[in-house]
Amino acid sequence: MARYGMALDYKNCINCKACESACKEENGILLGADSHRIWVGVRGIEGVFPNLSIGSSSYQPSQCQQCDNAPCQSVCPTNATYYDDNGVVRVNPDQCILCTYCMQACPYDARYIDDRTMTVDKCNFCSDTRMIQGETTTACQATCPTKVRIFGDLDDPQSEISKVLRDREYYKLKEHLGTQPKLFYLT
Amino acid sequence: MNLNKILPYNKHTLKSFFSFEFTALNIFMFLLTIGLVTAMFYGIGVYLVHGHHAYGVTRQHAWGLLIAMYVFFVVSSTGLCIMSSLGHVFNIKAFKIIGKRAIIGAIIAILTGFAVIAFEIGHPVRMVIYNVLTPGLTSAIWWMGTLYGLYLFFIILEFFFLNNSSHKYSRIFGLAGLVVGLAAHSNLGAVFGFLVSRPIANGPFFPLYFILSAMVTGSYLLFLIYGWRYKMKFPPEVEKFMITLAQVLGLLLAILIFFEIWRMLTAVYGQMPERADIAIHIITSKHFLIGELLLGMLIPFVIIIFSKGRAIKTLVYASITGMVGIFWMRYDLVHDTQLAPMMPLKIHEYTSAPGFVEYIPSAVEWMISIGAIGLAFMMYYAADKFFNLDHTKEDSH
Repeated sequence: MARYGMALDYKNCINCKACESACKEENGILLGADSHRIWVGVRGIEGVFPNLSIGSSSYQPSQCQQCDNAPCQSVCPTNATYYDDNGVVRVNPDQCILCTYCMQACPYDARYIDDRTMTVDKCNFCSDTRMIQGETTTACQATCPTKVRIFGDLDDPQSEISKVLRDREYYKLKEHLGTQPKLFYLT
Repeated sequence: MNLNKILPYNKHTLKSFFSFEFTALNIFMFLLTIGLVTAMFYGIGVYLVHGHHAYGVTRQHAWGLLIAMYVFFVVSSTGLCIMSSLGHVFNIKAFKIIGKRAIIGAIIAILTGFAVIAFEIGHPVRMVIYNVLTPGLTSAIWWMGTLYGLYLFFIILEFFFLNNSSHKYSRIFGLAGLVVGLAAHSNLGAVFGFLVSRPIANGPFFPLYFILSAMVTGSYLLFLIYGWRYKMKFPPEVEKFMITLAQVLGLLLAILIFFEIWRMLTAVYGQMPERADIAIHIITSKHFLIGELLLGMLIPFVIIIFSKGRAIKTLVYASITGMVGIFWMRYDLVHDTQLAPMMPLKIHEYTSAPGFVEYIPSAVEWMISIGAIGLAFMMYYAADKFFNLDHTKEDSH
């Protein structure tokens, strides 16, 4: 039993998109713009010349926030979306009826339709590909050349993520919605 | 066992079933129905081959025209049920004559709604199975679907007892159908109202508005149904009913306009992102101004006000614009809810400017959803042939 989360040292991101590729490769995600579990957002330079804010320009990797109070889970009419023992929000494709209510409810646009199973899919921290084989890293984390991602057990005080969250400031996305996300953006 | 004793129905040969008076209007409706149903089946055929790729829906706009038309049909059903209950359950005398016709309309509308949603839900059979095996009790869709199933069961029983004049039982099931229908329908509003991620939809407005707009829809449909039934030559008791209906509709429209004004004012006030900007987009769009406001509310409202509800023939025609307006209300409800892109930190990806999510229904979506109106016409024609839907002397007393 664990409570998995991920910290993102996003200012180290160089937008190489290796994480996107690794995720597609590891989890067998189909090609196409709509089929993505994770992405790298690009914030441009803000302001009007000559008052340009160079500091505002950054790359911001993101994905499913693995909310503790996931709106996608509570709206699922057949409980196809569920929390596994490690607190990861997952989808059982056998139960998904493709009503896409979860896609409406997710405030993070983290869900997409898998055209092979014709069900809604999402990031599950590589639970069914890597974690099940005893790996301790996700594909996106393992491949990241600048070590942006720190994945681990939030309940284990000795885990790297717990230490980082103790030492560094961070923010979470759309926290005001009460979703209790488990992705932490280190500042 | 003689079925006719349990549920009285008219016997027909194939020839008598398909025979109708050859008036211009009848022939037009016949051709329209055939055209619409053909379009629907063609659309279904394309959908069965290509799945959701035949639709214009995307990751960011996952609900499209079919959801809007599903809402359109189930709102119509609940509306007819509520309006018929005014006479049947609440004993308002003028409304007592509409029981059978309104309830068969409600049954037909909800069946058509189910037919449309069956081609939007990716796995309708799986839905029936896991709705029972692993119910998601925190899901408004689960409650809405389950309660609508129960509602259909009750109103079928209500129709059954209305038809063999068992007034005691028809009243019991009428009340049950009304209560469950209200619960189901407000849950449909809650499907949108519960979306914390969508500030424009989130809140108590939609569950309340759905019931109110259902009553408006039910009134428009009753005008159309009775206008068609009597071809504008109304017997006195029907005329009395329609004048009362017009006055009730006037009140309902006034409340609806009042609701909309305050919805938009509260949405715009304070400039809250994803709420004020969308509200401004709505109230400046042609869908809203011409579709919802002018056709759906103002034209019938002005006619009622200036004629004091007596221009019932004009109101039959105004109900056509009213129903077009109701369609746009449903379409906008679904579309506007999804306007704001849910793209945290993705807003500048690929340097595209952040804007509203766009959606254009595909031809297949139009065929299935608008074609379904033909399916409803066909079912109504059959019901009108098989059952005696007119009121009896007993009903009006």
